[in-house]
Amino acid sequence: MAIKFERVGYEYQDIDGKGYLALADITLNINKTGEFITLIGETGSGKSTLAQHMNALLTPTEGRVHIFGVKISREGKKDKNLKLNPIRQKVGLVFQFPEYQLFEETVGNDIAFGPKNFGVSEKEAEERAKKMINIVGLDESYLSRSPFNLSGGEKKRVSIAGILAMEPDILVLDEPTSGLDPLGRNALLKVFYEIHQKLDKTVVIITHDMNTVYEYAKRVLVMREGNLVYDGAPTQLFSRKNVKNWNLDVPDILKVRRAIEEKLGITIEGETRNKADLMAKIGEALR
Amino acid sequence: MSVIEIENVSFTYHGDKRALDNVSLSIEKGEWVSILGHNGSGKSTLSKLIVGLLKPQSGTIRVDGITLSASTVRDIRKRVGIVFQNPDNQFVGVTVRDDIAFGLENLQIERPEMIERIEHYAKKVDMYPYLNKEPHALSGGQKQRVAIAGILAMKTDVIIFDEATAMLDPEGRERVMEFMRTLNREGTTIITITHEMKEAVMSDRIVVLKDGKVLKADKSENILKDKETLERSNLELLLPLEIMHYMNENGIDNPSLKEFLWQLSLNG
Repeated sequence: MAIKFERVGYEYQDIDGKGYLALADITLNINKTGEFITLIGETGSGKSTLAQHMNALLTPTEGRVHIFGVKISREGKKDKNLKLNPIRQKVGLVFQFPEYQLFEETVGNDIAFGPKNFGVSEKEAEERAKKMINIVGLDESYLSRSPFNLSGGEKKRVSIAGILAMEPDILVLDEPTSGLDPLGRNALLKVFYEIHQKLDKTVVIITHDMNTVYEYAKRVLVMREGNLVYDGAPTQLFSRKNVKNWNLDVPDILKVRRAIEEKLGITIEGETRNKADLMAKIGEALR
Repeated sequence: MSVIEIENVSFTYHGDKRALDNVSLSIEKGEWVSILGHNGSGKSTLSKLIVGLLKPQSGTIRVDGITLSASTVRDIRKRVGIVFQNPDNQFVGVTVRDDIAFGLENLQIERPEMIERIEHYAKKVDMYPYLNKEPHALSGGQKQRVAIAGILAMKTDVIIFDEATAMLDPEGRERVMEFMRTLNREGTTIITITHEMKEAVMSDRIVVLKDGKVLKADKSENILKDKETLERSNLELLLPLEIMHYMNENGIDNPSLKEFLWQLSLNG
């Protein structure tokens, strides 16, 4: 088990010193390979707090998190031998506004910064920058450009390339596609899916986009008021009861499928996880 | 009557490729226009030019017949308000109240009227109880509503929503879209800058930008169904219209289902 949450609680203190429970009694396992997880929940549900425990950016105030064998807990916080750097390299966390973290003079230096910081040679770091800029769908001409003249979507890709260049085992991404145009969004999701499939890495994506959840996820975690209320497959998630109780947005594929079934008075058999599947099934039904 | 006239406008960021290339466009009073395009298509550059945050290197921009220049930019900002994508970058006040007041102070509105407007528009966006709170304690959706109250309080004829819903959760997004609908119904000219087709369905007209040029401008119902134009600018058809397209391609004729799909797409 790569990441193991054992009865994790996390309490924030606000300015007045008042406690606020962001996570309550979370128990959860994430494997090193083979997982494609989406983490969803309303604003303030605790999903970003949960993600920040995955690479020890936050220390639980109750319970413990084991990350690649390293125990993170309140009691262990003062342990001088506790080394967090290896954890940060193994679990790469991409923030919601990663573009704010760009600061080097060129895109190439920005991508190479992380690996160099973790002791990778200059030459190897440059090689990785070249490889990763292509993986995120930009060409090598970007490497010599200033990050500050890029569009929002381009900045986002550059910062993701920077995390990928550290070659983490597990990639945790907080709203990685917000602000991207549809083609850019689909392209980047395919990138994450390929990283997951070809390199056999675990990917965790925090998102509000139920289309992403439905089309890509193998496993969905639903947070609600600091509690983990669902841990399972996306196909079972969007029952009428769950949608109502957890205030979920229904994925377009499912919404349109249900509307068409009702309009035509038919039942479409089998799963339709993407639009090609759905169109083929509708075609069959109408012919 | 045109409220915004853009004629042969070009703009290049220092040392970079051309962001806008000879763009011409006019927007009628009371109209709702969506400007769509891929990341980097120049749509946000266009909105910054309209409010005078950037200066065109060639061409002219007129608002209400006033040509935009350094000496008229204050007049223009009385007429055109803008809400940006990231509310954090728009906060200038120590409290929510200060923040809404900022634009009004710039317009030199008298104090009693200012107080009245702040309270009225804070109520309108459901942020009245937060007037004396510090903005950083608010959620993204709440911050965006404060930014909108600040713009509404200035009572501008035109409001630009520059990807104003991109950072919001579905509920926050729906609320902002509801403001757009209400404002437009009450006569405000609305310009939405977006790449979300769901936001464009309500507008009267859609302008598609690609690589800094106007690729196509037409009534929304025509552009919404135009797969080729949309895909050329990294956009995609709404799912019901994608299915309609598939039916046409495959010779599946079912007029009542097609009509149903069209209605479905308009309802988001």
